[in-house]
Amino acid sequence: MVVHEHGGLIVSDSRKGGWKDSNWYVSLSGFWREYRKHKIGILGILVLGFYVGMALGAPILATHDPSPTAKVAPSFLAPSWMSIFDPTGVTTGEYMPDPLLNNAEANTIVKTGSKSDEFSGVHYTDSDGEGYVNLTWDHSPGEMDWRLLDPSGQMPDTLSFIYFKQNIPWSFNKLPSDVNMTLELSVTMTGDFATREEGGLMFKVYMWLIDSSGNWQRIYRSFPPYNEEFQSRRIDLNYFDMAAGWGGMITDESGNQEDPLDELTVAVGLAPTDNFRNYLGSNPENEYEGSVTVTFARVSMLVYGNYFGILGSTDKGADAWSQLVYGAQVSLTIGVVATALSTAVGVVVGLIAGYFGGKVDEMLMRVVDFLLVIPSLPLMMVLAAFLGQAQETIIVVIAILGWTGTSRLIRSQVMAEKNKAYVESARAIGASDTYIIFRHVLPNVTPILFANITLGVVGAILAESGLSFLGLTDPSKPSWGRMLADAQGTGGFSAGAWWVVVFPGMMITILSLAFTFVGHTLDQVLNPRLRER
Amino acid sequence: MGLREYVIRRSIYMFLLIVAVVCFNFFLFRLPTFVFGVSPVDLMISDELKRNLTRDALQQLYERFGLVPDPDIFDWIYMFWRYIVNMFTGNFGISFVSQKPVMDEIMARLPNTLLLMGTSSIVSIILGIWTGVKVAADPGSRKDVSAVTVALFIYALPIFWLGMMLLMIFAFYIPAATNDIISFPLSGTIDYQVWVEAKNDPLGTLIIAGNIMHHLVLPMIALGVGGYGGYFLYMRNNLIDVMTEDYILTARAKGLDENQVLYKHGLKNAMLPMVTIIAMTFGFLINGATLTETVFNWYGLGRYIFDSLVILDYPVVQAIFMIIAITAILANFIADLLYGVLDPRIKYG
Repeated sequence: MVVHEHGGLIVSDSRKGGWKDSNWYVSLSGFWREYRKHKIGILGILVLGFYVGMALGAPILATHDPSPTAKVAPSFLAPSWMSIFDPTGVTTGEYMPDPLLNNAEANTIVKTGSKSDEFSGVHYTDSDGEGYVNLTWDHSPGEMDWRLLDPSGQMPDTLSFIYFKQNIPWSFNKLPSDVNMTLELSVTMTGDFATREEGGLMFKVYMWLIDSSGNWQRIYRSFPPYNEEFQSRRIDLNYFDMAAGWGGMITDESGNQEDPLDELTVAVGLAPTDNFRNYLGSNPENEYEGSVTVTFARVSMLVYGNYFGILGSTDKGADAWSQLVYGAQVSLTIGVVATALSTAVGVVVGLIAGYFGGKVDEMLMRVVDFLLVIPSLPLMMVLAAFLGQAQETIIVVIAILGWTGTSRLIRSQVMAEKNKAYVESARAIGASDTYIIFRHVLPNVTPILFANITLGVVGAILAESGLSFLGLTDPSKPSWGRMLADAQGTGGFSAGAWWVVVFPGMMITILSLAFTFVGHTLDQVLNPRLRER
Repeated sequence: MGLREYVIRRSIYMFLLIVAVVCFNFFLFRLPTFVFGVSPVDLMISDELKRNLTRDALQQLYERFGLVPDPDIFDWIYMFWRYIVNMFTGNFGISFVSQKPVMDEIMARLPNTLLLMGTSSIVSIILGIWTGVKVAADPGSRKDVSAVTVALFIYALPIFWLGMMLLMIFAFYIPAATNDIISFPLSGTIDYQVWVEAKNDPLGTLIIAGNIMHHLVLPMIALGVGGYGGYFLYMRNNLIDVMTEDYILTARAKGLDENQVLYKHGLKNAMLPMVTIIAMTFGFLINGATLTETVFNWYGLGRYIFDSLVILDYPVVQAIFMIIAITAILANFIADLLYGVLDPRIKYG
């Protein structure tokens, strides 16, 4: 048999009616006894705890810069754990066998051309144990052997030059998704190279990729000014560089491989340029006397694989996991603060309208009616677009529309409560309106508020994600709605990147589901009309 | 107070609400001007254009869009007056961007929005009522608990994400896996190619309708599922509530079987508030679903209001906003009356 108790609050059957009995803090343990019977309520609280932990621990949990525009990897890389399904996938890492040039044997120095005696190279280790490679070009007046025709444009202008090289074994059968090379060098010039203004234009430092078929792909050439201090150059290889360097090592469908070996050579060299033959009508090669010494401290190659981080990378190459973790902060903050704000306004308006009634009530309820007929999402969009993208603005915009339901609820409860005997007696002994409202009426309508608040948070979280999905929130702040907007705007899943679509939405859903579960359970426990005995 | 007086009172109230919305609308869309001092003239006409145009040509442009450069208080009063007159005569002005009357632009999109919102609402209402009644007969049962959990899950689900997931699965992965045997369009309302070909075809209307239906399926499912949770919970809670009333007890005491009690006595009474909710829903149909329409690139009002907002085409936003609010007020009014007509127990007052 289903029996419902009307208009009251959580009280035990035998003690009903007195206001003190129905105070929520008095019956807190009774409430908990009732609450824990609901499995989904417990689940909701556990999940909420998990999210709060995530939001608080975000700085520790995040592995990279959470800013949506911070590029830390190539776009749309799959999560690392997906590499289980793809054993041939490239793993991210440093691929140069000897990036710091500490090992003399790893670096082979090669001189070419008929004037190769002008060049010399040496590997040495300084007193701190750090290795360097020195390439020197010592020129005395006389003609160089010029390259007459170089259709590919990849080689230096002279046949004579010097370089050192390292070999990289490549066991994968895929192109890297991106390669960043770093070169650390210092240049010392003597003689005419140092004294003449155009001395720096007479030579260049080059970097090449040489595949095992012997094709050279130039990936870097230097420009003056040069410095005797060590300076580093960062070189981001483009697709053509990668295709030329790695493409030949990939077996095609018929099992053919263009390059004989799975090995790539990186060469770094020093060579005279065309200016040395003819510079504004003069012939530097016949006039210059002096030397150029280039010292290399580091040649490193960071290869990005097909997989990245815990949840892959976004369209802008930012780390999805870090954004996801920080997104918890945004959603929880906006959800809770906006609801707190709207609840506070709703409670005050509801109390005033319900308790005083009459003209005040009429006026406030007309405002509520007005806000209820205004379409909420369009209004939020308009306000967010006009008032700006700051987090505080978004909170206010969400709260502006969120308080109407609360105020109606409180008002109806207050109207039911205010004529009860305990209010009458409080008034009779001279209690002020404020005292009666906050000491007597409010505690009695509080329980009904809790379910309302938790459901309000769900609304606020969904509103925030909707607004950020439309791009109306701060673009520099990571948020789940924003991640989905980026995925949608850049064709995330059309690029096969399901992870940028699935995870942010899942986070929103689970968080609001947890709040919904808690709210529903509170409703079941605190709202006697729904409770079964 | 009788029904007649009630209707008159509500009508007056409704009219006042409409006036309030119209006034609010005027100030809302001049917020950027009031708050940041951005004149719509600046948005509309670039400095370069201002320098290059003759005084007369500029004047004409201003008049065409109803703009006043550097307005003082009298200009504002004049603009407000003209705005009120225009709004009540249905003249919503010209779009800054397309240079066409706003009303034409809205009318071009209205059928699409009504189609999408109408079908999805009907689906979710029917499903919601049906399942709501099914589980309300036996609250607390396993069936009830799981249905409520599903409804709560839907309540917590961001609908635009559901739309993205549907697109990803049914418009990308499944077509890729089945060689396009099962496939749904990734975006849009109709394929331009189909439209061009069907124009000269005797059966063109059918082909176009089929193509639109094909585009409609995914957004309709997304919105239908999104609405379902609310209707279901509302129906269920209503019915459970009604089933505790005294007249149900009486009906049972008469010896009616449980089905008769549920459908004849319970459902009929529980449907009353449901009817008003449905009436309200249809008032908000025109509202469109900005997020879902954006995800599916649906050519409707919801997306139009957002797109116009982003490029600050505010005659359009203002007009749509206005129309939405007035329809909502009317729907509210009708729902109120309907409730009074359907439920004889209601006292007007």
